Amino acid sequence: MKPFSEMGEAELAAALHSLRPEPRPAFAAELDERLAAGFPRRASRTARNPFARLLAWIGDGSRWHLLIPAGGAALAAIAVATVVLAGSNGSESALQIDSAGTAGSAAPTGPKSAEGSGTYGANAKSAPNRQPMESSAAGTTIAPAPAAPAAAAAPHRDVERGADIVIGTPPGEVATASSKVFEAVHAYNGVVVSSSTRDGRGTHAEATFELLIPSGKLGDAMAAFSQIGEVLSRHQTTTDITAPTVSTRERLQDSQARIDSLLAQLATTTTEAEREVVEAELRAERGHAARLKANLSNLNSRASLSRVTVRIESGSGALAPGGSSGGWGVGKALGDAGHLLSVAAGVTIVGLAALAPLLLLALLAWLAGRAWTRRARERALT
Amino acid sequence: MSQAGVLVATPTEQPPEADLTFDDLYRSSRDDVYAYVAGLLRDQAAAEEVTAAAFERAYRKRSRFDRRRGEPRAWLFGIARNAALDELRRRGRQAELAAEPEDLASVPAVESAEQSERRLALNAALATLAPRDRELIALKFFAGLANAEIATVLGITESNAGTRLHRAVTKLREACDEAI
Repeated sequence: MKPFSEMGEAELAAALHSLRPEPRPAFAAELDERLAAGFPRRASRTARNPFARLLAWIGDGSRWHLLIPAGGAALAAIAVATVVLAGSNGSESALQIDSAGTAGSAAPTGPKSAEGSGTYGANAKSAPNRQPMESSAAGTTIAPAPAAPAAAAAPHRDVERGADIVIGTPPGEVATASSKVFEAVHAYNGVVVSSSTRDGRGTHAEATFELLIPSGKLGDAMAAFSQIGEVLSRHQTTTDITAPTVSTRERLQDSQARIDSLLAQLATTTTEAEREVVEAELRAERGHAARLKANLSNLNSRASLSRVTVRIESGSGALAPGGSSGGWGVGKALGDAGHLLSVAAGVTIVGLAALAPLLLLALLAWLAGRAWTRRARERALT
Repeated sequence: MSQAGVLVATPTEQPPEADLTFDDLYRSSRDDVYAYVAGLLRDQAAAEEVTAAAFERAYRKRSRFDRRRGEPRAWLFGIARNAALDELRRRGRQAELAAEPEDLASVPAVESAEQSERRLALNAALATLAPRDRELIALKFFAGLANAEIATVLGITESNAGTRLHRAVTKLREACDEAI
């Protein structure tokens, strides 16, 4: 037999071709049937391996259409996050309004009363609850005033305070808001001096309350009023009434001394005429003292009780149901749309920033897996 | 009656073009793929399973085939090669399977003693070859791939494929002479 080393290429090829494995007819027929059926899946070794099954599932070209619902789900997640964030932003705005109101009420720091006496701005060195307050409109943060240098050592001062607040409510909720005002007044031991309510469905409805609130609780009461609805405007004033109070008190003391003096003088009178003169002076002085006492009482009352006007408004100038104040037009719609788009863009950017490292890791893992598989396959040949 | 007796398939009834192309590819390559895989694995059952898996994979990936990256036949053999190598890896992890004895049904009925001896020697020599060399022999002489196609399947240049093939044939000749 001729050695293979001396065999020609064609001869060797023919010899090798005679060894070519041929598929069994049964197997060929089975494969033909599977082709005709579109290669339905069959149980294989990968079916027992969850990881291999997952890889096969991902690698299956027919699965890529699942990207559509996956993309939809991602978009839905972005939309939900946008709505949540936009809603929380709105809440934050509301909170800012409320906190501004609270801050303006509980820790008033206005440098000078808009309607107060001109002397107060220069003389206000009392404790925080006796400092002047001013807030003109809702949502306007009250600018902090520089602390008074000698506040700790300041003597007691009498300050008269007043406040006006206008609250917007949706139509039909004026009565509810009014009851909340009553509750707040009761909670802070205040007094409703007068109230006026005008209700009406679909028309402008309003309620007005004239209140007296203990000055020490004015801040908390204003905060409570601010939470009833959206604060459309708020105005707080202070007036230093220390001077008239002190003056009245001193004049009263003088009057008391004068009365005591007249009483002593009356005791020493010897004639009827002298006695009548002293008694007339005594009556006049007692009347004077009574007026001074009334004045002093009035001043003390003004210092201890703050006059507050609460007005609740509803209608075209107030809130729409569930909305903010003012009309809702094209401009506001564009503004809302811009806000929504910016929030959506932010959510998308944050989401991508969070996903980018994961996607990068997944890509690196995929590339490493491919390289490892390729090397492992080549190793199988050695 | 218009167009009597003429059945015109509506476009929705016609198989997609990709399916038609794949069908052609399958018809022209089924036996070659099996021959290559069986020559590499030397295990009929495994060869059948790997061949079926390769066609199944190719069928599912047919929409991702890019003609610019090579001929469909080379693409199909690349898939079959990966499936066969995966099978070899599994064998490596499990117990080594002994090569199956020669299928008697494939032995020609009329054969001279010299031809029979030569065929046995070739078969024995193929068994002694390294899988890498046996793969080249299988691709070239069993599957009938051209050197360019072999290069595409293996991911090497055509000249490199020719060189490797020449070395594999030389080793086969030596192994055959030793087997005689």
